[in-house]
Amino acid sequence: MINSSSSSVPGSFRDPSGFLFLRDGILYRQINQLCKDDYDRLMTSGLYERLVDRGLLIPHEEADISLAQGPDAYRIIRPRLVPFLSYPYEWCFSQLKDAALATLEIQQIAFDAGMELKDSSAYNIQFVDGKPVLIDTLSFEIYQQGQPWVAYRQFCQHFLAPLALMSCTDVRLSQMFRIYIDGVPLDLASSLLPKRTWARFSLLSHIHFHAKSQARYAEKTEGVKRGSVSTLGYRGLIDSLKSTVQSLRWSPGGTEWSDYYDKTNYTDTALEHKKEIVGSFLDAAKPSTVWDLGANTGLFSDLAAQRGMLTISFDIDPSAVEKNYLRCRNAGEGRIIPLVLDLTNPSPGIGWENRERMSLQERGPVDLAMALALIHHLAISNNVPLPRVARFLAGICTWLIIEFVPKEDSQVQRLLATREDVFPHYEKVSFERSFAEFFTIERAAGVEGAKRTIYLMRKKS
Amino acid sequence: MKHKALMWSFSLIALTFVLVRDACAYIDPGTGSYIFQILIASVLGGLFALKIFWKNIKAALTRKSSTGEGQEDDKQQQ
Repeated sequence: MINSSSSSVPGSFRDPSGFLFLRDGILYRQINQLCKDDYDRLMTSGLYERLVDRGLLIPHEEADISLAQGPDAYRIIRPRLVPFLSYPYEWCFSQLKDAALATLEIQQIAFDAGMELKDSSAYNIQFVDGKPVLIDTLSFEIYQQGQPWVAYRQFCQHFLAPLALMSCTDVRLSQMFRIYIDGVPLDLASSLLPKRTWARFSLLSHIHFHAKSQARYAEKTEGVKRGSVSTLGYRGLIDSLKSTVQSLRWSPGGTEWSDYYDKTNYTDTALEHKKEIVGSFLDAAKPSTVWDLGANTGLFSDLAAQRGMLTISFDIDPSAVEKNYLRCRNAGEGRIIPLVLDLTNPSPGIGWENRERMSLQERGPVDLAMALALIHHLAISNNVPLPRVARFLAGICTWLIIEFVPKEDSQVQRLLATREDVFPHYEKVSFERSFAEFFTIERAAGVEGAKRTIYLMRKKS
Repeated sequence: MKHKALMWSFSLIALTFVLVRDACAYIDPGTGSYIFQILIASVLGGLFALKIFWKNIKAALTRKSSTGEGQEDDKQQQ
């Protein structure tokens, strides 16, 4: 019965109700007999249709049971593929907030149908067509009268604590997700949050007192699992979590990069010409997916999205990503996924065996990568030699649109203003030689009114 | 009669304790989180009831005032 050409997905093993596996390049989810009743209730109660219609749950179709990976199988389903997997440590504040609110909305709708979410992992949410969607069809179980919400702790660790820290302490604390695979420990969140949060009933209860209760009962087993939560109490808890999340806010200020376009020496004409060049290169390469590296607020990501290309818009600055996300959300632009990423330290593989959550490279290679006004930041600000930049980019894409910014450019002069110029090889000829080792230069165009050159390159096979 | 109703209530409460089970749960709710939730949910349940009650009153008042305004409008039109 076990198919030799199948492989299980490394991040899907914790829940005994089932797992994801790949067969002949197609993604399937096995549903085990263990949660037969829960799955049947989800499908027959109308809950599945309601959630899929609202774009809150990933749709699926049932597949042949002969694909089963063992005797425990009850059903095999084929979920719609998520075009790009992103993780909470790559999300900006509003993305995490929207994911939290989507989780609570799903929980409320499920509760009305006599079901509940048995987990509330932020990793179960993905951005599809610009909206947060639950991708785990097995997250539902039949609600038992009186049972407390089993995923309450997980919701607080995965959503409430990081959101509170980002909102009240520092937005960069979202990176704690990279250290703590099961969300931010509440005692740590409690100690990092400012004292003023003790005056907010919602944070006082769901984080500070919650953390104290965890510490108090950490070693105790007596009296555990006695007592119940009324239906009204259950609804009150979800409603309180929802209003707490809604009350958390963060405004992106003008940071180093988020107001970048106001500071560059680009004239309007040069900027328009640059857009024309990039647009024509995109038309020539015709990629389906694009990674815009150092995308800032997404000015050039728009060019790819307007051509129907799914565009992952990466930037190191949480403010720029926040602005990009809010702009796309307000415009209903679902083809752009803005994400926070430090290219000099890109997302690694994390979790069990370092394989539960994929590294950036594992999620590639992408059809086309754009590296506009980026090379000087890598080569000069971060001392990455040009051949290494070329090798890295060759590992993640097939086509490349890259801008070379020479030393004479005022932006490079700014970077060199406070440091010694130890970059004798940072010049156009070396740049072209370094990239020619991995890429064929298909086209090159100088930007009018600027000293910069934009290249279209194709990776050598 | 009162005694019977009381017995029923007790039986229902007892039943909810019996019905509490783990179902398909695979994550640890955490002892401290579990106990804390039982406590906080009783408070939040009360607040939620008040919120719904207040919402209903507000809705009823809004309905009443808009009906009143509607009648005024009708009168003016006549």
